[in-house]
Amino acid sequence: MGNSTPFVTLLRQEWFRFTRLWKQTIFPPIVTTVLFILIFGFSLGDRIREIHGLSYILFIIPGLAAMGAMMNAHTNCSFALYMSRFDQSIDNMLAAPLRSIELVTAFLWGGIARGMLVGLVTLAVSLLLLKQPPYHLGWTLFFLITQTVFFGCWGIVGALRAKTWDNLATAQNFIITPLIYLGGVFYSVDLLPGIWRTISSFNPLLYMIDGTRYGVLGVHDLSLLTSAGLSAGMALLMFALCVILFQKGYRLVR
Amino acid sequence: MNAIEISGIKKSFQNVHALKGVDLAIRQGEFFGLLGPNGAGKTTLISAIMGLVRPDAGTIQVMGYDTRRQAFAAKKLMALCPQEINVHTYFPIQKIMEFQGGFYGFDRKTSKQRAEELLKRFGLWEKRKVGKVKLSGGMQRRLMIARSLMSDPKILILDEPTAGVDVELRHELWDFLKKINQNGRTILLTTHYIEEAEQLCGRVAIIHEGKIVACDAPQTLISQHTQKAKPIRRFVRPGTLEEVFVNLTGKRMEEAQQWEIAPRL
Repeated sequence: MGNSTPFVTLLRQEWFRFTRLWKQTIFPPIVTTVLFILIFGFSLGDRIREIHGLSYILFIIPGLAAMGAMMNAHTNCSFALYMSRFDQSIDNMLAAPLRSIELVTAFLWGGIARGMLVGLVTLAVSLLLLKQPPYHLGWTLFFLITQTVFFGCWGIVGALRAKTWDNLATAQNFIITPLIYLGGVFYSVDLLPGIWRTISSFNPLLYMIDGTRYGVLGVHDLSLLTSAGLSAGMALLMFALCVILFQKGYRLVR
Repeated sequence: MNAIEISGIKKSFQNVHALKGVDLAIRQGEFFGLLGPNGAGKTTLISAIMGLVRPDAGTIQVMGYDTRRQAFAAKKLMALCPQEINVHTYFPIQKIMEFQGGFYGFDRKTSKQRAEELLKRFGLWEKRKVGKVKLSGGMQRRLMIARSLMSDPKILILDEPTAGVDVELRHELWDFLKKINQNGRTILLTTHYIEEAEQLCGRVAIIHEGKIVACDAPQTLISQHTQKAKPIRRFVRPGTLEEVFVNLTGKRMEEAQQWEIAPRL
């Protein structure tokens, strides 16, 4: 009996949870993102002038990959944990000799893995189509990882708070999606008029998407260090919050 | 050292006092029964032992480990077979079993072997690739017992394990439970089948309105509590644990059988 076996088993369980349904969890988001690229890039892109010296289709690819990664990390974590609360299988995990940090990390791992798969496959397909190598793989991975951690943790908190499936959908439809769309996926923040630019600067997702764009294309609107610091800081804070909530048994232990 | 030692456990849910100071000691190797009507506090007490309910006061020790301060060590020794079929809805049952072994530290090969042995032992091997929704009620119950044995626990806690199971299977499970108890495993069982408690348990505690109202060997309880008063209901078998139950709780076992299974959200 090895000490790491319970934790590794948790990781395997969360990997199994989403990969066994890959036709529902991996394939559709990639198709959706590629469709976005085809529609906004190829059909409408010609009518939009270059941004930062790049064609519009190239400009939106990093944001779309980041959007896919964020959404899927969030969906995976929130669905996995809420489903475990719904069918009460979470009680079995809580009764087993597993630590809160291990449980949080395992749920999060499912979200990170799914989000990264969607984000990286989208990037690979799009960049291959456009014959464009990534500018800086390290920064690309850094921003994709911090985004998936942040959104995965957000999904965990949402799943703990939710009392119905509706609650989960509401958060995604009315908070996360607008924040992502207003986070500069389809436009450069430099193009916004003064007041909107100031308002946008309060959207944390703007920094994550801008950082990803730097990693993929080498262009950015905001300070790279600010984007990197904010992304990593928010991911760590959200992770700490999740661990604390699990340790306190929030909505888990009666 | 007792297997489980419960001292002064209290637990309230808003205005409902589910446990009002429970004291109980379960010896190592004992087959112990917990009887009580619906809402008496049986499941709350079991959940407190497993760390799924946080008591307002009191302590619980499992083989000397405090279940709050030394939860990790305590949980390694126990396994719970709950009333609810709390397995992942769409996971194949073989995977459920294998993951369970891994949670308790068994490597993949050993987990696979144990899962196969137990699924075969409980007649579920042919169904190993399907999820719980494709199992009958009896099969789901068997799965729960099989899963609780994956970790080879020193202390097995069974919450109404034979509820809704046909008579033949129930007797088969009794024989199995007796055998694993004889091998040294401590068993804590809640049941609403009086016959089950009489057949299996060396000692029985009756819990009523959050308090233990009696605790002893079935025969001792029968001799102590069936002479004093006439049964308050008709159709109760005289001189049995059922009469003790009725005299102490004012309820018949059939009334105590009703329970609710609802997701806790």
